[in-house]
Amino acid sequence: MAKVMVSMPEELLVEVDAEARRLGTSRSAVLRGFADAALHRRRVDRADAIRALLREAAGHGGKVAELVKATRPGP
Amino acid sequence: MSTLLLDASVVLAAFDPDDAHCTPAAALLGDTSVTLATLDLVRYEVANIAVRAWRSPDAVAPLLAVIERIAEDGGVVVSTGALMTRAAELAERHSISVYDAAYVAAVGEGDRRLVSCDERDLVSKGLAELPGAS
Repeated sequence: MAKVMVSMPEELLVEVDAEARRLGTSRSAVLRGFADAALHRRRVDRADAIRALLREAAGHGGKVAELVKATRPGP
Repeated sequence: MSTLLLDASVVLAAFDPDDAHCTPAAALLGDTSVTLATLDLVRYEVANIAVRAWRSPDAVAPLLAVIERIAEDGGVVVSTGALMTRAAELAERHSISVYDAAYVAAVGEGDRRLVSCDERDLVSKGLAELPGAS
């Protein structure tokens, strides 16, 4: 596992340490958990929003990769 | 956790049930186990297809909304001069267009991988993988 130095306001560190004591774990483990949860939340938000947008999808004939090339400006 | 960089064909395929890659492309856009990113060129390409090829200007807004959600996830890479210089080199080396090469250049260093439905110029040359390939 990589080791990093992180700067943060003293008040925030106090809260992180309190969370570590509450969970009976280390400061590093708490920060890892927060980072993982934040990134997962971001991915879930993206996935949910896009799934909703895709409900409007309609057939356009396919072959989109060829269409992309065909509609680009030529040399 | 790897980041997948999507080209325009993946976003477009997800919106077209007639496309052979629609199902895996849509599944990838809804996959919560990966971070998704793209290149700013994608906005021009999806809008151009919706208007010029699909004759469906109403499709532009949802397509661009997908891009914005990707922007909030892994981000939209900006086509800087440095990136386009690298794209020009890649285009020459692999005999592909600078447009395709720009996506390849946007992958850059690290653990990013390019995902595309372009089997002819990108997947067959090992420069990208199809949606659902991993």
